[in-house]
Amino acid sequence: MKKGKIYFSLSLLLSLSIWGCNPLNVEEILDPNNPSVSSVSNNATKPQIQFVLTGLESRHRGYVTNVSQAWNTFGREIWYLNGSDPRFQTDWLGQNGRVPDRSYFGFGNTGGGSYAAPYQAINQASVLISAAQNSSLITETEKRAVYGFAKMIQGYQFMIPANFVYNNGIRIDVSDPLNPGPFVSYSEAMNHAKSLLDEAESEFSAAGTGNFPFVLTSGFAQFNTIAGLRQVNNAILARANAYRNDWQGVLNALNGSFMNLNGNLNTGPSHPYAGPPDVFNPLFYLPNAATNTIVVVHPSVLEDATPNDNRLSKFFQRANPVTISTDAGTLTGTHQDARWATNTAAIPFIKNEELILLKAEAHANLDQFADAVAAINIIRQAAGIGVYSGATTRAALIDEILYQRRYSLWAEPWGHRWIDARRYDRLNEIPTSFDGGTIFTQFPHPQAELSWDQYVGN
Amino acid sequence: MRKTYKFSAVLVLFFLSVGWTFAQYTVTGTVIDSRTGEPLIGSNILVKNTTTGSVADLDGKFTLNISSNNEAVLVISSLGYLSQSITVSPTYTNLQIALKEDATNLEEVVITGLASSVKRSNLANAVSSVSAKDLTGTTTVQTTDGALYGKVAGATIRSNGGAPGGGLSIQLRGISSLSGASQPLIILDGVYINNSFQRTGRAAVSGAGGANQDDGANRLADLNPADIETIEVLKGPSAAAIYGTRANAGVIIITTKRGSEGKTRVSLSQDIGFAKPLRLLGVDEWSEEKINFFWSGDSEANRLRRATELERFRQGDRIDYEDYFYNNTALLSNTRMNITGGTEKTKFFISGNITSEDGTVKNTGFDRYSIRANIDHKISDRIKMSVSSNYINSKTDRGFTGNQNNSGASIGYSIAYVPNYFDLRPENGVYPTNPYFAENPVALTDNAINTSEVNRFVQAFNLDIDLLKTSNSFLKASIAGGLDFLQNSTMVYLPEFLQSQVASANPGDLLLGKQESFNSNFQAALVYNWNLGSVNMNSQAGMVRLDFRNSSLFNRGRGLVPGQTNLRQATVQEINEHFVSEIQEAGVFLQQEANWDDKIIGTVGIRWDKSSLSGDNSKLYSFPRASLAVNIANFDFFNSSVINQLKPRIAYGETAGPVAFGSIYTPLQGANIGGLLGSVVSNQFGNQNILPETATELEFGVDASLFNNRLSIEATYYIKNAQNNIQNLNLSPSVGVNITPSNEAELQNKGFELGISGTIVEKSSFKWFSRALYWQNRALITRLDIPTYILGAFGSGLGTFLYAEGYPPTSIVGTPANPDNPGGFTFWGDAQPKFNMSFFNTFSIRKNLELSFLLDWRKGGDNINLTSFLSDGGGTTNGWFDDDDGDGIPNGRQRPPAPFNNAGRWVQDASFVKVREIGLYYTVPRASVASAFGGYLENVKLGVSANNVFLFTKYEGYDPETSTFGARSVDNNVDIAPYPTPRRIFFHVTLDF
Repeated sequence: MKKGKIYFSLSLLLSLSIWGCNPLNVEEILDPNNPSVSSVSNNATKPQIQFVLTGLESRHRGYVTNVSQAWNTFGREIWYLNGSDPRFQTDWLGQNGRVPDRSYFGFGNTGGGSYAAPYQAINQASVLISAAQNSSLITETEKRAVYGFAKMIQGYQFMIPANFVYNNGIRIDVSDPLNPGPFVSYSEAMNHAKSLLDEAESEFSAAGTGNFPFVLTSGFAQFNTIAGLRQVNNAILARANAYRNDWQGVLNALNGSFMNLNGNLNTGPSHPYAGPPDVFNPLFYLPNAATNTIVVVHPSVLEDATPNDNRLSKFFQRANPVTISTDAGTLTGTHQDARWATNTAAIPFIKNEELILLKAEAHANLDQFADAVAAINIIRQAAGIGVYSGATTRAALIDEILYQRRYSLWAEPWGHRWIDARRYDRLNEIPTSFDGGTIFTQFPHPQAELSWDQYVGN
Repeated sequence: MRKTYKFSAVLVLFFLSVGWTFAQYTVTGTVIDSRTGEPLIGSNILVKNTTTGSVADLDGKFTLNISSNNEAVLVISSLGYLSQSITVSPTYTNLQIALKEDATNLEEVVITGLASSVKRSNLANAVSSVSAKDLTGTTTVQTTDGALYGKVAGATIRSNGGAPGGGLSIQLRGISSLSGASQPLIILDGVYINNSFQRTGRAAVSGAGGANQDDGANRLADLNPADIETIEVLKGPSAAAIYGTRANAGVIIITTKRGSEGKTRVSLSQDIGFAKPLRLLGVDEWSEEKINFFWSGDSEANRLRRATELERFRQGDRIDYEDYFYNNTALLSNTRMNITGGTEKTKFFISGNITSEDGTVKNTGFDRYSIRANIDHKISDRIKMSVSSNYINSKTDRGFTGNQNNSGASIGYSIAYVPNYFDLRPENGVYPTNPYFAENPVALTDNAINTSEVNRFVQAFNLDIDLLKTSNSFLKASIAGGLDFLQNSTMVYLPEFLQSQVASANPGDLLLGKQESFNSNFQAALVYNWNLGSVNMNSQAGMVRLDFRNSSLFNRGRGLVPGQTNLRQATVQEINEHFVSEIQEAGVFLQQEANWDDKIIGTVGIRWDKSSLSGDNSKLYSFPRASLAVNIANFDFFNSSVINQLKPRIAYGETAGPVAFGSIYTPLQGANIGGLLGSVVSNQFGNQNILPETATELEFGVDASLFNNRLSIEATYYIKNAQNNIQNLNLSPSVGVNITPSNEAELQNKGFELGISGTIVEKSSFKWFSRALYWQNRALITRLDIPTYILGAFGSGLGTFLYAEGYPPTSIVGTPANPDNPGGFTFWGDAQPKFNMSFFNTFSIRKNLELSFLLDWRKGGDNINLTSFLSDGGGTTNGWFDDDDGDGIPNGRQRPPAPFNNAGRWVQDASFVKVREIGLYYTVPRASVASAFGGYLENVKLGVSANNVFLFTKYEGYDPETSTFGARSVDNNVDIAPYPTPRRIFFHVTLDF
């Protein structure tokens, strides 16, 4: 048994040496791929705040693809012909009696790009605000600038879910992730957007002058000063006030905006798309690309166009039309979107042309017809279709303004026509004869909202 | 030669000091197979209750000295045979022993714990064992999991499609996890091997979506099935509790072949075969009437399009694209060489394998090169060491099938959308532009690349040390471990001249990936075997350590210089993915087995585990188990000539499923925009308190053997409850964070498994062995404290899955909305089959001919068939333009149920009967071999076999068992233009030297 003892001691030694490096010790593994949100919640450095701020610019454009493709389809500015999935046609056009449900195609359980994405931007802005608040490493004016920027984006983003579900209302108290507030009406939601933009204005006014103290992308190239951002903020406020039917408010906001009656109509901030490591412009298609997945101009837009309108240069007539056949029939697109020179072109989110049209609309609604016509004529002359010669009644001018908006703001990442037609109760004027579909008024709350209320209810 | 070779090794199993006495006698004998009369080489002859023994030589003969003049009981055993006990005495020394085949596997030794094994007849769980013969004896299957179809009661196996190189998932006893993969843990010779579905990047390039639509292969494909000696399947927590945290979905224990003492044997096998698609669906013909209907519309553009189509129709040749792309003959070749042998101290098994199989789609295939060396060595009388080394190189080209978006990079989509009158084939080297889809699939198939090359090394070691040995006890230390290092280089390449690329701003798309995974595990246990009266006790204590490290780096280049596949030749270069993960786990275990004379066998055990994945990385989770088996037939009072074995058994155990990596983090992710980098708050809110999913299982059943062990019955019922199921709690999307992992669900699986096997006819000239397996499982969400939700597949419009309390998670729901139902949609089906059955038969005719076949039957279980959805969209479904109800609207536009716009249209019953395997083998008589080849060649076996031979189903797809999401736990029954499953036919030659 001597040998046995030797082996016993040997294995004891062996096991002791194993215990030496303690195989039972399990370390805490920190995320090897990302910093944590909590890393910026306490005394974040200026570079950390910069990263979160640029992150907000990224979240700020989260809605663009979905809203551009879907809302512009709802308003029949475009068709999104998609050979890989017929539901872009059948479901989005409401063919064969399809109506939006809580988990509709293209929006999922969360509302996707039309609902969840804007709220992600709003949350990102909140994280940015608290990172700045809890930091002693940036100055007070720098903080104010950050708050202003964050609230401006929040004001803009709140309008997206509000217009998606419209009279169903949205939540505006979203600060506590596990305890969101109730749904409020559309008008309350829009008032909330306005108040955020007002707060942004007052934050900016306490943020000094000169350059914005953080780096912004080229999307804000002409607006990266405190003054420039205030102009952007007021432009957004003008749009919000129009949705609130606060026409004097529109005019007041326009005065503080970058509106320039003699300037380039395309001036405005935009969402940049630089290509890798950034993404490409999601709306870009090569001219005449031999594909069956492409955004095409809705036939009614072509049919209703004024001959020789310069804005028709936004449409490119394809050598080969794109045809898609689904169980709801055949759709053919003859023209594609020609607005983007390259797949790295930036996409504007509000521009001078819209501001002038908002001016016209505000004046018309305030029965200041001469001012309205003057603004309309800026747009008409730029389009090369001569001055306005129609009646100068409110109704006629609104007709004219809505028509000009169809071509000036065609297929912008906002769904202008859908929202405009709804604002003036003209959804029934959007033609369905080309596709046999239906025009949606609004979407129900996404399933996840309903589920959350059930969860809290339990 | 054989005469000069005197096989005279006398094996003394345990070297103890044996007292020398003068009195002794010698027993000699021959051991043969009772049916064929063939000698049973290597049979063990052991003097009962001693360690004295001998082995039979090549003629089945043995000699054994008995060191006394008393009677002695010899136990004669041979692997796969029922053992016999014979009493010898100085007057009875010449034995002729005929052993019967163990048709019911009662003698088989089953690995049941980390350091223990038990004879099947004493087992308290329904552990399925698949032997080498079961696995690969009938036909040659590409991958190990593919060879398990129909051989394990309770296993549901699904493939992503028929692409070469694997891509299968196994679920044991239903769904074990609602969010995890629900795949069993796989342990190869003690190594926790990687069986993940690795990303290839195809879905990113084709636009299909996430990596779960890549149709990647799972990495069990790397293992050469012919190296496997046995596979043991611990199906649930009651059997697998000692494996702890990773055993919720069961454990598959694979043991490879090892060398045996004796002459060095060389075996060479060659399979040559071919594959054709098992089933094709046909495409619809066109007519002018159909064209006028399909391309209807009043606009000018529509009129022009109609005219164009009619013109093409009038001119065009007819090409059946399904036939063109899929109906090719693939060559299959499988070459294997084994060298085994050894001495009493050192034994070896060395194998080499070259598998080279084409796919039925052009430019697809699977090549695997594998070398294995399994060495066992006795360092001393007390220390045994074994190592198993396996290097594998496998290369898989899987082509382009399945889902896509916008890129056109899927053959199946193209078949669905291109009418048969349009010719896509190249003319003078130029591929025509496909006006019906975004890509010319002929150009794609000829020129695009989707390849993955794996280099892998799996190393296992094992050290057994006898620490103490007395006459009735021993203490043993067992140290084992190993590593699995895997590197996977993937490439997806769409050359710049493809239609989809010409149509994009930066033509030419290249996605190169490198994935590395390194698993290592270490285990140490002390085993003490002792006797307490007439009860044999086996006590074990040990520890386990696991480490898993993974990293992946994917780079994409677009805008390529023609013909170049180097990323530096791309205009736009992009880091597509960089991801690192590290997991550490550790556990300790205790187990006590008690065996009272093979009459009552009880086991209790417990394991404690901690994991870096859990919210609290230092918290130990405990996993107890207990089991009891009673061998009624071994009691003295039991006296039946019919029933040889009757064993009621009951087992209980607990296990866990690990938390997914990253669940505890709330990250700030990188987001580039306009030349800057942003940090964005993730959609996921980490849960620092997340717990592993735990499961408890109670299993009980009866095993019986009848008619002199010719018939065996194994019946098992189980109730498996999974608590703390990890699911994402969907937050209100208004808060800007969509999900947080939660532990608020409970899932129950109840099921029944029945196996009946036996030798129906057993004559010297004819033997018929038959085995029928039946199993059914019912899954149910018994508790869901998060809100009811729908998830999976392609949304409510095309059929998705309901997660609601009181409903099976396999419930398929979809449009139209129905607010009265939980989840708000209409119920359309259930993915879960009513039952599965398999039926295996082997006929042995005379000594040399063997015919086997395996049949599978699944009753019920619905699929979401989106292949039909696509071909209906393109007007190409066979019979599309027929009009069954005569209302003027063709069938292809009017799939029931009315009003023909809901998700129910694509939910189809996927019941089937499949003839899975057929094999016919002829062993050339030894005498003929000897006379033809002298002593050089010992054995020649010839065969012909087939895999996936026939399919009978009403399901309108290529294979009711394929799914684009094959690896997911719940929605793994979604059919989207998959690679058709092949029918494989082989010719075999095996030569033993």
